[in-house]
Amino acid sequence: MRIVVGEGSCGIAAGAGKVYDALQTAMNPSDSFELGITGCIGMCFLEPIVDIYEGGDLLARLVHVEAKDGARIAEAVRGGDLSSIEDLKIQEEDAGFLNKQTRIALRNCGIIDPTDLNSYKARDGYKALEKVLKTMTPEEVIEEIKTSGLAGRGGAGFPTWFKWNAARGSAGEEKYLICNADEGDPGAFMDRAVIESDPHNLIEGMLIAAYAIGAKEAIVYVRAEYPLAIIRLEEAIRQATEAGLIGENILGTGFSCKFRYMAGAGAFVCGEETALIESLEGKRGMPRLKPPFPAAAGYKLKPSNINNVETFANVAWIINNGGEAFAAMGTEGSKGTKVFALTGKVKRGGLVEIPMGQTLRHVIFDIGGGIRNEKKIKAVQMGGPSGGCIPENLLDTVIDYKALSATGAIMGSGGMVVMDENTCMVGMARFFLDFTSKESCGKCVHCRIGTKRMLEILTRIVSGKGEEGDIELLEELCNAIKDGALCGLGQTAPNPVLTTIRYFRDEYEAHIKEKKCPAKECVELLSYKIDPDTCKGCTLCARKCPVQAISGEVKNPHAIDQDICIKCGQCYTLCKFGAISVE
Amino acid sequence: MSEIKIIIDGIECKAQSGETILEIARANGIYIPTLCHDESVAKYGACGLCLVEGEGLPKLMRACSTIPADGWILHTDSDRVLRARKVALELLMSDHDGDCKGPCSLNCPAGTDCMAYVNEIAKGNYHDAVRIIKEKFPFPASIGHVCPHPCEDACRRQYVEESISIAYLKRFAGLKDLEKDTWKPEVAADTGKKVAIIGGGPAGMTAAYFLKTYGHQVTVYDAMPDMGGMLRYGIPEYRLPKAVVDREVKEIEDLGVVLKNNVKIGKDLTLDEIRKEADATILAIGAWTSTKVGCPGEDAEGVLGGIDFLRANILGKPEEIGKSVAIVGGGNTAMDACRSAVRLGAENVYVIYRRTRNEMPADDEEIDEAIEEGVQFKFLTNPAEIISENGHVKEIKLQVMELGEPDASGRRSPVPVEGKFETLQVDTVIAAIGQKVDPEGFGVELNKKGIIAADETTFRTNLEDVFAVGDATNKGAGIAIAAIGEANKAAAVVDSYLNGELIPYRKPFVSERDLETVKKELAEKEKKARIKVPKRPAEERKRDFKDIVIELSEEEVMVEASRCLECGCHDYKECTLIECANCMEICPSRLKGEIHPGFTETKLITIERNQNKCVLCNLCVRTCDEVTGKGILGLVGRGFTTVIKPEFNDPETISGCKDCHKCFDICPTGALKLLD
Amino acid sequence: MCKNDCKDEKMKALDLVLDAHDHDSGSLITILQKAQDIHGYLPAEIIYYVAAQTGTTPAKVMGVATFYTQFRLEPVGKYLIMLCKGTACHVNGSDRIEAAITNELEITNGQTTKDGLFTLKNVACLGCCSLSPVMMVNEETFGTLTPEKAISILNDFRNRKEEEA
Repeated sequence: MRIVVGEGSCGIAAGAGKVYDALQTAMNPSDSFELGITGCIGMCFLEPIVDIYEGGDLLARLVHVEAKDGARIAEAVRGGDLSSIEDLKIQEEDAGFLNKQTRIALRNCGIIDPTDLNSYKARDGYKALEKVLKTMTPEEVIEEIKTSGLAGRGGAGFPTWFKWNAARGSAGEEKYLICNADEGDPGAFMDRAVIESDPHNLIEGMLIAAYAIGAKEAIVYVRAEYPLAIIRLEEAIRQATEAGLIGENILGTGFSCKFRYMAGAGAFVCGEETALIESLEGKRGMPRLKPPFPAAAGYKLKPSNINNVETFANVAWIINNGGEAFAAMGTEGSKGTKVFALTGKVKRGGLVEIPMGQTLRHVIFDIGGGIRNEKKIKAVQMGGPSGGCIPENLLDTVIDYKALSATGAIMGSGGMVVMDENTCMVGMARFFLDFTSKESCGKCVHCRIGTKRMLEILTRIVSGKGEEGDIELLEELCNAIKDGALCGLGQTAPNPVLTTIRYFRDEYEAHIKEKKCPAKECVELLSYKIDPDTCKGCTLCARKCPVQAISGEVKNPHAIDQDICIKCGQCYTLCKFGAISVE
Repeated sequence: MSEIKIIIDGIECKAQSGETILEIARANGIYIPTLCHDESVAKYGACGLCLVEGEGLPKLMRACSTIPADGWILHTDSDRVLRARKVALELLMSDHDGDCKGPCSLNCPAGTDCMAYVNEIAKGNYHDAVRIIKEKFPFPASIGHVCPHPCEDACRRQYVEESISIAYLKRFAGLKDLEKDTWKPEVAADTGKKVAIIGGGPAGMTAAYFLKTYGHQVTVYDAMPDMGGMLRYGIPEYRLPKAVVDREVKEIEDLGVVLKNNVKIGKDLTLDEIRKEADATILAIGAWTSTKVGCPGEDAEGVLGGIDFLRANILGKPEEIGKSVAIVGGGNTAMDACRSAVRLGAENVYVIYRRTRNEMPADDEEIDEAIEEGVQFKFLTNPAEIISENGHVKEIKLQVMELGEPDASGRRSPVPVEGKFETLQVDTVIAAIGQKVDPEGFGVELNKKGIIAADETTFRTNLEDVFAVGDATNKGAGIAIAAIGEANKAAAVVDSYLNGELIPYRKPFVSERDLETVKKELAEKEKKARIKVPKRPAEERKRDFKDIVIELSEEEVMVEASRCLECGCHDYKECTLIECANCMEICPSRLKGEIHPGFTETKLITIERNQNKCVLCNLCVRTCDEVTGKGILGLVGRGFTTVIKPEFNDPETISGCKDCHKCFDICPTGALKLLD
Repeated sequence: MCKNDCKDEKMKALDLVLDAHDHDSGSLITILQKAQDIHGYLPAEIIYYVAAQTGTTPAKVMGVATFYTQFRLEPVGKYLIMLCKGTACHVNGSDRIEAAITNELEITNGQTTKDGLFTLKNVACLGCCSLSPVMMVNEETFGTLTPEKAISILNDFRNRKEEEA
């Protein structure tokens, strides 16, 4: 038997490292079972997760494991009787989270050991590369990708084969294949999971693409905030190089391709492909004018092709299973599967890979289990700072590039943040503008000053200083910025504002006209009050109030001085009698 | 290279394939604004002003970098383009922390570039100072004598200690320049168009001056024996010697303006007769009728109108005023009247004013000087009745007043103290409380107040070819420089009318800094006291009508002029940003917000860098990299807080920078300034 | 640890980095990352040195060093708290965590405590959205924070420091 601890970033953050140590300590030299790791299974809400395998069969999946469980798990495995750890086993409804998915890009995640090339090879790893190099021409590869209907998973949804073909068709010997792993959308972590959990899948997909376009060098540009992904990628590159899968004369086919990675240094705008190229060249990540497009003049002004991690993660599967198999899934305009990072106020958050064409409601309710604490769903945010909020009444929208765009949101890279009735939509718009204005590179006027001004207007609205006409002013700014900004970051920055105005205009109006936050989230618009009839005079709130705004005698009703109150909400959380209300 | 055809704004343009939209548009005379583009450096695409829309193309495109395909149909002025451009300009201006013009200039109704001429005076260049003043009006010396100087009211030096003595500096330069070879404008070739101007006062003569320089044939008609209007007949000799007015009028006449005096419209000539001869007519007839006191007994002998009194003095036929004189009113005409009365030998001169000194519209200095000359002020009194004996004024009964609640103008209204009166024995009462227009005999439409109605942007009356400016229009009598300001604007409008297309006056947009921020900065400045212009002693000057001012020395004048803080931008006339900002109507104040980090530094030794005005077009950085190959300048930070900085500390780099100036040459705003 | 030779040791390490990247300004970001690993931050003299060694200008190196949030021109505390301000963390109350840390350590975003122990830095999404709200202290990630939990984690680090001492 084999005990496998899920050691993705989320798992480690939840304590997987300590669980692994505990298991290791609990093992005897004489034990016949093995201890290993895997990456992220994508059920973040159950971390730390420990799987027990017999050969290739999963015998048990243990969830919310703690270090103190190490000894009895080891004992149970040693004895071959898992009944003693029944309490740790995953609940059936939670298991459904995974069972309802169709995994292609994530097919190995949480199953193989990401630090072991053989573990990848055991699941058809590098077979597609071998097939391509030995039996297919670059044109045939591009044709297969065309058949699959694979589109860029970074957000724009541009047909992958078209980009490859353009780069292949560009004149010149020196070409570059670049992977955009600068996954900057707050709320998205699909790419991180792939690199941490299945780095060879990325490498294989990139090598196939490099062969298709005729690149002699492949580069992964990976976010600096992903230290574990960087370590695993570095190790995978080393292993693949050692195994002759990278470098000169790969698999003896005469095809040569160098492979390296570069860590970004913290700039969201570097997810924009021309900014990414500038950054790769060691410069400030400021977008270039397009045209020329990277396919004609990219990295070092040579023809370059850039795709996102998830796009590459599908490539080997498509080669192995055929483009048609991939195209069989999805809708008319959107083929294959898509990975989403489901987070927010949803019960079961994590990575969800499903065929295109399913509804948002299916993802949030059937897979994600609905909303936490029995609250009502208000909206789902898709596409991060470039995307928009889709309201509850549109949750039957299917996952499809066009259908999602029609709502004002976008498919995006896969961030899916669920919001409940307590989420203020103006605050949400403000949050994204705060993000984009900080991440604006500062080059073009519309984005540099425009996002700043939008943020200022939204800030004044959430702090109760909104003015009549602010909504219209925001809309005017949004439209001008969409038209005027130089790159995708600026052009899409207004989306969160436009969609929230479109679907939640009444919330904006309540902030501006009535100076009220319907979701009761905007601190400056709240007031906390103590109900004298319910208050027992326990003095807890008065003692804990950081600004001494609460006064009252013991066993007598207390009161809050509104002039002093900083609306921190501590009293509200602390009161055991529900005597404090917020408006 | 093949030839392509595209259509821009309906104009078919032929071009070589590979040319950008901007290049093609410029070759075809189509204006597309740009701020960050320059042919000497690589395309950049930051400013977003050059956006154009293509039919059937989803996104707006940057003209500076987009290469069109054959057959494209483009628009540089579609609603979508204009919206994006307008917002770009408003965003830029909302983050541009600079003053285009000094507040002195902005507060001058004639828009005189005070800062510029004061700076010339500081260098002793009176000729250039006069040239700058004459860009706006032809009476530097005369106006320098009499102007109540709104420029000084706005002067920022007051936040250090006191305003600059701008009016006196103008007077000084104007007089100096009249001494020999005074500056003369160029007169354009004759257009064959004829302009008639009725009224030879400051407004009429200003309009005549500019229209003459534009090449038109100009005739000025005036009812009085000499030109100058109120400058001549409304201001006593001791404030403005008529020899000065003569000289400045002569300068205008010398340009070829025909002057016809002693012509009264309606009597000697009709407006229609004049219109028949002229292609355009401008009415600048002023406001020459005194407002009456408005109390019982005011028809008595010995009750005079203020300006009538002043005019009679100047014409050499002063009225018999006796020993005791009461002047009613608190403005500058009242001061002129009371001080003239003193000079005519009156022993008891009273000024009756219904509010207190604080509310008096007259210049403080004038009031002080009047007091020095023995004038007695009866504040908080108002004429209740003029009592006469044998038909002649004997005494004036005054109602005592007190200040009540502030009125709409913010001034506290005087209200009578019931039953409280005072009586003065007087031989003459002079009403100096206002002037009215006498539009009799012109036949143009009047407004409700009986004043000539003229459009505020075209200055046109109800008659297509008749324009009107100055005291005779709209709001009525004001200060000379305000009438002049209307005249210089109207001259341009009339010129456009004569050239076939009337272009209304539009107030240009200018960038202005936040006053509170400026005040804080100025509080730190080193103080330099304002010079006091000496006057002849009161006892001496009150006996004659000679000029009361004792001229300063050139040295003193230069010191005073050098107090100027130079608030306006050195680059205003060449600034691409402000040129673009004025290519459409913008309103940056609606996008007011935080301003990027600003500072001024002189690391480049010969160039002062004012980051407050920087618009991050990055042209300086790109020039420094691409043209000079030095790479001394660089962007620092990211997003809204990005600034441009030179980053070095070794002497070699600095000296390499010294004689280059290429960054300065290419800067589209006033962010970089070449130091002397 | 080293006292007098420390500086030289660090410069030697930096030279090795420069050699490994052929003194190529195209690798400027990687070089600066390594330089920061060596020095803890990017002192002005290192900016000048890297510029000279890679054939670019100090202005360009400054431009890069100030563009990316990872680079620091000032030394940081022993423990760098990176508080995630991503969407999921925002929705799940990262503002309250920030308030608690600010209150506890008396520093705001970007500042370092007087004892030099902690630096607080708000960061874009750390990608642990399912565990939101999340923070990283140096290399360790902590999820599902509450204000109380965050404070207790900081106290653990503080004690760790004391134990070491």
